[in-house]
Order: sequence, then C-alpha cells, then structure tokens
Amino acid sequence: MEQLIQKLKEEIIDALNLSEMNPEQIDDKAPLFIDGLGLDSIDALELTVLLEKKYGLRISTAEEGKKVLYSVRSMAEFITANGKA
Amino acid sequence: MEAFIDGISAISPQKTLDGSVFLQELQEYKGVHALKCIEPPYSDFLDPMASRRMSRIVKMGACAAMKCLKEASLENPGAIITGTGLGCIEDTEKFLTSLYTNEEKLLNPTPFIQSTHNTVAAAIALMLKCNSYNNTYVHRGFSFESALLDGLMLLHEGTAERVLVGGLDELTNHSFAITNRLGFWKRQPIDSLRLLEYKSKGSLAGEGVAFFALNREKSEKTIAMIRSIDTIFNPGTPAETERRLSVFVEKAAGGMGKLDLIVLGMNGDPEMDEVYRHLVNTLFGLVPCAYFKHLCGEYDTASSFALYLAAAILKEQKVPEAIRLDKRSIGQIKNILVYNHVRNSNHSMFVVSAC
Repeated sequence: MEQLIQKLKEEIIDALNLSEMNPEQIDDKAPLFIDGLGLDSIDALELTVLLEKKYGLRISTAEEGKKVLYSVRSMAEFITANGKA
Repeated sequence: MEAFIDGISAISPQKTLDGSVFLQELQEYKGVHALKCIEPPYSDFLDPMASRRMSRIVKMGACAAMKCLKEASLENPGAIITGTGLGCIEDTEKFLTSLYTNEEKLLNPTPFIQSTHNTVAAAIALMLKCNSYNNTYVHRGFSFESALLDGLMLLHEGTAERVLVGGLDELTNHSFAITNRLGFWKRQPIDSLRLLEYKSKGSLAGEGVAFFALNREKSEKTIAMIRSIDTIFNPGTPAETERRLSVFVEKAAGGMGKLDLIVLGMNGDPEMDEVYRHLVNTLFGLVPCAYFKHLCGEYDTASSFALYLAAAILKEQKVPEAIRLDKRSIGQIKNILVYNHVRNSNHSMFVVSAC
C-alpha cells in the first residue's frame, strides 16, 4: 500500500502540474479538494482520467467519485480493492 | 479615433519585458529558422497554483498583461480584448494528438479547455476578477488590428474609460513544420539581425505577446497616443497601397512631412517586401525608415510588436542603429507611422504620436 501511495503521489504531481510540490508534501489522508491540496473540479476530471488510463478503473457515479477522490489514501484503497495495485 | 497609451508590455524574442533594456540590448540569434520568446520567471508574476495549468502562451499573455496593467496603475480595465492568429495552438495540438492516439477516449480536460482562442483573455479576467467586456478576435493578419479597433471604439463611444488590448501568437514545432512546407520560411539558417541581407524566398518565423493599456483621457501615466488605425485587405497593387496609405497619413498626421519615423514590417522575403520597397522609393520620400521583423520574426500579430516598438521609441526617444533602414538624421520623434502586412493580404497602418 505504501509503495502504491508513493507512486500515486508522483503521478498526481505529474498529471496536475504541481511542479512546486514534492511527494513528501502531500499528506496521504488529507482531503485533495478545497482544503488540503486545494484542487478543483478540473483536477477531479484529470484524476478520473488518470485512474482509467493508468489503472483501468472507472468511477461510475458522482457519489463514488467523492469517496474515491477524497485523498491519496482513498484512491490507493480503491485501486487495491479492485485488484489493480 | 484616438486613445492614450498608459502602459505597454511585451514578451518577445527581445528583452522587452524590461522596457528600459530593450532598445539598448537588441538580441541577435545566429543560424536560426525561427525566433522564440525570452520567457520570464513566471513565479515573479503569477501564482504557481493558478498558473500550473497554463500553457506557454497563456503564461506569457497573463504575465505581459499583469505587467502592462501595473505600469498603467490600472487594476480593473473596462474591457479586455485580445487578437490572435492561431490562439493557443500548443494545447490545440496536445488535444488533437490525444484525440488521435487515444482513439477519442480518455481525453485530458486541461488541453481541451485551454485550446480555445480566448483562453488568454479569459485567464486575465479570472486573475483580475474582471467581469467587464471580454473579447478575442481571430482574423489572421488582422487579429490584433481588430482587437485594437474594438478597444478604440469602446473608448470613443464612452462604453469604457480604460481598456486592455493585446496581440499574441506562439510558435510550435508543428505549426512551424506545416508553414515551412508551405514555403513561408527561409530554407537556410540565418542570422536574425541580417534578415534583409538574404535574398532567398521566405522569412523568419517568430512569436510574441504585446499588451497595451489604453485610456480615453491623457493621464500622468500616458507615454504616447494612437492617432488612428486603418486596414486594407488585398490591395492588389503597390500603387493602390500607396494611394490608401497616403490618404490615411494625410488624415491621421497631416501628411508625410509630419512624420519623424516610419516603422515597416519587412520580413526578408523579396516578394513580400516588394510593396515596402515601392513605398520607400515613392511615397515615403525623405522620412527616416526602420523595420522590426528581424527582432521578433513573422507571425499574424507581429503588428502588436511594432506598436510596442513605436511606443517604446516615443518614450525613450531612441532608435537603435540595428533597426534603421537608412542613415537619414532623426531629431525629436513626435509622429511614427507603423505599416505592416501579413502575406500581402492583411495590410495595416497606425499613426502613433508623442504626448
């Protein structure tokens, strides 16, 4: 899990052009949106594309999206639960 | 229609972002086919979190606009108007490439959102939280002219007191390759400041961003004034251009004799430069002439660089030797005619005066 979280952080930094950040600055459990990392709705779309492109996983509903994209850890748990880790 | 220029800013292949250095230290590029902009450290002007999604042209545009507004002490303009020939072509290419390689699936939203031509004007408005008139003109070689004309009309009609007008175009590898196949650029690499010495077909590709803060009234920030602007589409012959230009100068400045300098858009392609040479030998008489495309290259909105150059010359009262076409003596510079054309189709002219 920890290895996956580290990899996800690097992929998020790359996908969202967070070039001023490094993986250590991202808290696994902190919310990605509004508070925490301060991401917005376009970032949510970018993360959805990332999950599908890199892990072959689709988020089917807005409710599921809110849960999965809550934090880096929740994304990693979603990937692991679907056997794509 | 007149307007006062309170602020200017440009990002170009020259050191234009620091206006005091630009005319003193012209940059020469050796063995090149194209000129690319000297980009500033964007973090000095833009919030990294806000600019992280911006492509190069959006960053350059936003950065130049912020600097222009700061120079004019203008916080919230009554209108933001831009002109661009190709818009945000880098993100358009990214989006189309992704569309093709991913078979129209899994498309990243950012390049799609930012591939529209009005992204720069919109980004500036978002940064300023400016809800005023916001428009972008995409009319090839008349893009900047249309934006400027719109800005002048808003001021003239009293719809806005102060407006921000800009011209912008970026050069990408793809756009260069395509226009190169069309024969737009010289085949052999050249030294930029010697552009007019090469007699081969084609020009030097370029790019740039220039912004102007315009005011209805003269202010303590005013550095120059735009007296008039006109355009001619496909004039047909150099003689027809001469006739139209003569009428324009008579109306805008009171005749050729009132001009202290003419800035021409010669681009080094003998076919394209024919009309300029005709005018130098006929209409322009003894008025000192200069040119500018060896500084910024050729692109659809290069006339915005020329307007920036004219305003900078009026402000600094300095004409570098490297842009002069002749050795005629130049005294105090009060009136400058800028005359440019793109591909011999879009001809434009401005008269800019000192205040």
